[in-house]
Amino acid sequence: MGPTHVSETPEAHAARNSPRSHAPGPTRTLRTLARILGRLRDAGPVPAVALVAVRLMERLVTPVTAVALATLVGALTGAGDGGTVITAALLPLAFLALVMLAGHLGDAAAEPLEYLVASRIDGAHRDRVAQMVRAPSEVGRLEAPETQALIRQVRADPEHGVETTPGDGTTAAVRVAAGLAGVAVTCAVLASFVWWLVPIVLVPALVTVVLRYRLAVTGAATWVSAIGGEQHVDVWRRANVSASEGKDIRVFGLRDWMVDRMQSRLREANAPLWRHWEHRLRVEWLMSILVLVGLIPAYLLVTQGALVGTATVATQTAVLAAGATLFQLLGNGWDLYQLAGAGRDLRATDRLAARIGRADPVPAQRAGAPGASIGEVRFEGVGFRYPGSERMVVEDVDLTVRPGELLAIVGLNGAGKSTLIKLLCGLHRPTHGRITVDGTDLSALDSGQWRARLSVIFQEFDRYPLSVRENVALGRGGSGTVDEDLEHVARTSGLADVVAGLPAGWDTPLSRGRSGGVDLSGGQWQQVALARALYGIRTGARFLVADEPTAHLDVRTEFRLFERLMDQRDGAGIVLISHRLSTVRRADRIVLLDGGRITEEGTHAELMALRGTYAELFEMQAARFRSGGASDEGGGDRA
Amino acid sequence: MTRPIPTPVWRRLPALWWEVLTLSWRCTPGLTVLALLVLALSVVAVPAVALTLRATVDATAAGASGVALACAVGVAVAHALTSTFQTVTGEVITTVADRTGRMGVHPRVHRAIASVPGIAHLERGDVLDRVDIVRRGTGQIGRSVWNVLLSASHVLKLLVTVVLLGAVHPLLLSLIPLAAVPLWAHRRGQVLVRRAEVEGAENHRLQQDLFETVAGVTGGGEARVSGADTRLDRLRGEAWRATERVRFRARARAAVWTFAGWLVFVSAFAGGIAVVIVQAAQGTGTVGDLVLTVMLAVSLGQTVRGTVTATAETAGARRVVEPYLWLRGHVAGELAREGCTEEPPRSLTEGLALDRVSFTYPGTERPALDGISAHLPAGSVIAVVGEYGSGKTTLVKLLLGLYRPDAGTVRVEGRDLADMSTEGWRSRCSAAFQDFGRFEVTFGETVGLGDLDRIGDPDAVARAVREADAEEIAAGLPEGVHTQLGRRLGGVELSEGQWQRAALARASMRRDPLLFVLDEPTASLDAPSEEAIFRRYMERARAHARGTGTVTVVVSHRFSTVAGADLVLVMERGRLVETGTHAELVAVGGRYARLYGLQERAYTAGT
Repeated sequence: MGPTHVSETPEAHAARNSPRSHAPGPTRTLRTLARILGRLRDAGPVPAVALVAVRLMERLVTPVTAVALATLVGALTGAGDGGTVITAALLPLAFLALVMLAGHLGDAAAEPLEYLVASRIDGAHRDRVAQMVRAPSEVGRLEAPETQALIRQVRADPEHGVETTPGDGTTAAVRVAAGLAGVAVTCAVLASFVWWLVPIVLVPALVTVVLRYRLAVTGAATWVSAIGGEQHVDVWRRANVSASEGKDIRVFGLRDWMVDRMQSRLREANAPLWRHWEHRLRVEWLMSILVLVGLIPAYLLVTQGALVGTATVATQTAVLAAGATLFQLLGNGWDLYQLAGAGRDLRATDRLAARIGRADPVPAQRAGAPGASIGEVRFEGVGFRYPGSERMVVEDVDLTVRPGELLAIVGLNGAGKSTLIKLLCGLHRPTHGRITVDGTDLSALDSGQWRARLSVIFQEFDRYPLSVRENVALGRGGSGTVDEDLEHVARTSGLADVVAGLPAGWDTPLSRGRSGGVDLSGGQWQQVALARALYGIRTGARFLVADEPTAHLDVRTEFRLFERLMDQRDGAGIVLISHRLSTVRRADRIVLLDGGRITEEGTHAELMALRGTYAELFEMQAARFRSGGASDEGGGDRA
Repeated sequence: MTRPIPTPVWRRLPALWWEVLTLSWRCTPGLTVLALLVLALSVVAVPAVALTLRATVDATAAGASGVALACAVGVAVAHALTSTFQTVTGEVITTVADRTGRMGVHPRVHRAIASVPGIAHLERGDVLDRVDIVRRGTGQIGRSVWNVLLSASHVLKLLVTVVLLGAVHPLLLSLIPLAAVPLWAHRRGQVLVRRAEVEGAENHRLQQDLFETVAGVTGGGEARVSGADTRLDRLRGEAWRATERVRFRARARAAVWTFAGWLVFVSAFAGGIAVVIVQAAQGTGTVGDLVLTVMLAVSLGQTVRGTVTATAETAGARRVVEPYLWLRGHVAGELAREGCTEEPPRSLTEGLALDRVSFTYPGTERPALDGISAHLPAGSVIAVVGEYGSGKTTLVKLLLGLYRPDAGTVRVEGRDLADMSTEGWRSRCSAAFQDFGRFEVTFGETVGLGDLDRIGDPDAVARAVREADAEEIAAGLPEGVHTQLGRRLGGVELSEGQWQRAALARASMRRDPLLFVLDEPTASLDAPSEEAIFRRYMERARAHARGTGTVTVVVSHRFSTVAGADLVLVMERGRLVETGTHAELVAVGGRYARLYGLQERAYTAGT
């Protein structure tokens, strides 16, 4: 029962889990419980204290009602004529009414308090997870499927009724802890008849708790194991409501095949969970026998006592009414399920932290203030392969990017172009060689400082569900926008026309899910992304890194855009990746990447004169224009 | 208090509940029976504790030891059954509803969505919203009937409790209307809570989306570089807290309502107990009556809560059930409009024709296609060119039956496409779209989907992969064509260009299509791939043309790729402005010639 291995995926973890192997040892359980309760700190003192107080009151009411009832019975059976009995009953009656009211007050007040406490804990937890995920400046470890699965598990955002969050776990822990106070009162009631009534009822009740806890733990593990299969079903669930996949589904007649595929995956994924629930139902019946084992002797003894006069009817009433509450107060299945879930999330969060590590050590060297011009950026024998992959995506790259130049990188699909710019942005660290900025190793520079001088547009750019203004201004951290700058980049990128057509102009949210929001087309989004990158340049970045920035635009728009970009780049350097060689030819320098290596380098004219692969590629695209002709001309072998 | 419900939905609800119950029975007969049984028995069990307790106390007071001891055992049994029924009812209903939702409702919903012949329901925001609610709500639909039954059983429990109280003293019957006070107050509070759920939903979704952006599969690369992540994270936190404020406030108000309701009831109830006490003191009642009354009052709180929860869930399910009923009506309507079973011809000799075809997207003003007439001869390669928004893609979607023309007809061998079975026609079409599907299955499957009959035929898949020039992709994957795609699923992530080639390969699976559509098929490909693929697909088109008279339609805004077509259709703002061969159109010197010139100059100027 050692600690969980760090490198294990949640799926493998669950698969390995035989029902028993996960039942935690008592010390670890207590430690986990303490950590779960410790989260109350995140809720703030007032809500936390209020919740504990309210829960305590509500849980105490259950056994205290029995006591109040017994007092009332005592007053009634305490001999005397009608008149005195009624007077004697007044106080106990008021007490009973108060206790009942206290119960309802506790119940009513617990709901909002529980919501608030759970929400604050989950909010703080999500802050921490986001912090953790944002900390590393590189993305390699984040993109790994194991990391993504862990993030999904600990993100405290339930999609499913059986998912629990740390906040749920803490509020459940408060319920359980308060329940224990109620248990103490019940035990006192039982002991008021005879002390050994306590173990008679308590022991079977504790057995049910252990059984329930085990069920909760295995249930949670079984559920995690079902997620994997559900994700395969999600592929089709999303496909079926997507206009893109929807066309393929119709043209190729995939409907029945798709539904069958989904259902067989669903059955396969959920069968263990369903079996677990059936097992749980059987155990529930078994537990009703345990209740009988505890209650029957206790109830018989106290009734016998009342019959022979060793106990009063009041005591009998108290025991009969309070005895069963022991089974409720010790925690129901759901509380324990949430507790178990929270424990699992805590451990998963630890694993996530171990996997992505703490923040990178802050490098000593500063990269100069943003806006300061960058000298040369040099790739020195740079090689890279993705973790867990054998293949070198980039190999032996020696390349100098000079200040203020337009450098184009061309190559076939999969030649390593996108990887090269990710290395440049510091999103991946070279596995071989190094990249230097003005002679300093990039990995020794503060990544924030370095990136402040970059502006990027990736092939798969971000689409923020925020206003157009935010979407553009996020090219530079997003705050303190100057309208003049926004208008300027909007004109250059062609976004101005789009903005003019939006219902609330710059303040229109770009997501249909938001009130007053709209959805943009692919081409319009590209213009947003372009404007964002240009905004970065406009506000101080000295280097524009653009990966297929115009793939979604038509030729005429692209053409005009490049004209404007050339005019207004303000001395900033540009690294451009494009398939359209008509655009690329205007670059100061062109680099051809082939199989992860640089094979040709020079201006358009030089490379054409070289008659190498670039010339071949260019000819191929140009030939059909030049000949005005057919696609069967200008073929040439694959480079 | 309840908002007016459109009568048709009301009338269709019981039928839907019955249907879901039947589905439950089919998915899991044993558990369905158990659930019904437990629901019924839990009603009987509610007063059991109070009744046995009274009997025990009274028998003890009377000194009847045999009866008292037997009744004491009865109390224990009643307690055990009550708590077990309570847990089991919840668990068995969860299980049954989950299984019914996943195995019964889920396939029906997805089959219904995919049964709509067109795709307009997936492209229009407001309609897609409804479809999306349904597909996410299959579990709730599966649970709908059980919530109704649960509500019924709670109401019965309330009735039983009240009748028992009336039996103790008729005056206690006056508690019946008073019991409605906490019920009403609690419900009122829940209305506030539900309203806050809706009110907070936008910010909740926003923080979800922003969290995904920062922590999602792409790892937040762009935000990291641009420094946007700090602000995104702040906005995320603010959105979370905004949701929290709205929802907490509503819950706090609801708590005040709930407590106020109970304050009224408990005060009245204390009076009721006083009556019972007087009765007991005067000897007309027993101490047991007092015990019974108090125990019933205690259980009443739980019953009222249960009733409110179950009825609220039943009412809440309308949010899912109404769109579901709408969807089924929509599917039925679409299929009724269909109703044609004419099979497509075996091969084309005449070809396809568009006869004054117009189409306007629902909810828009400007026609996407405006009176298009053209003949697409059998065996020809047709290029459709034009700028963004000119109607190119809309045109091919009409040819594939993904939209129906508002006016005019699409003809196949002179027969109206509308008279033909859509499924039959599509089984003779193939297409690769600009926004192709990215099916995260194995690589071989994502290709093989193009012809399900041969999805398991490795040779057929290999041939299609070859035609799309995608052999290198397959060879580069760790497990070749058996490699799972999608990083989320533990598989490999394809690049844009690789996905595009997979889509092309998929389109190449069907052997003898009558219509073959390539919609911007090479936008993400490099020059040699584009070139190779074009050459191959032209050859393929010619080969198909000889056999079945296949019409190949290529949509592109890159003029260089379409110059080899037999016929070029030039579109502008939904109209067909020029038609002819490349040479003819260049000679005419119109719109085509101008656009072609623009692109040509980009390559030739200065060389």
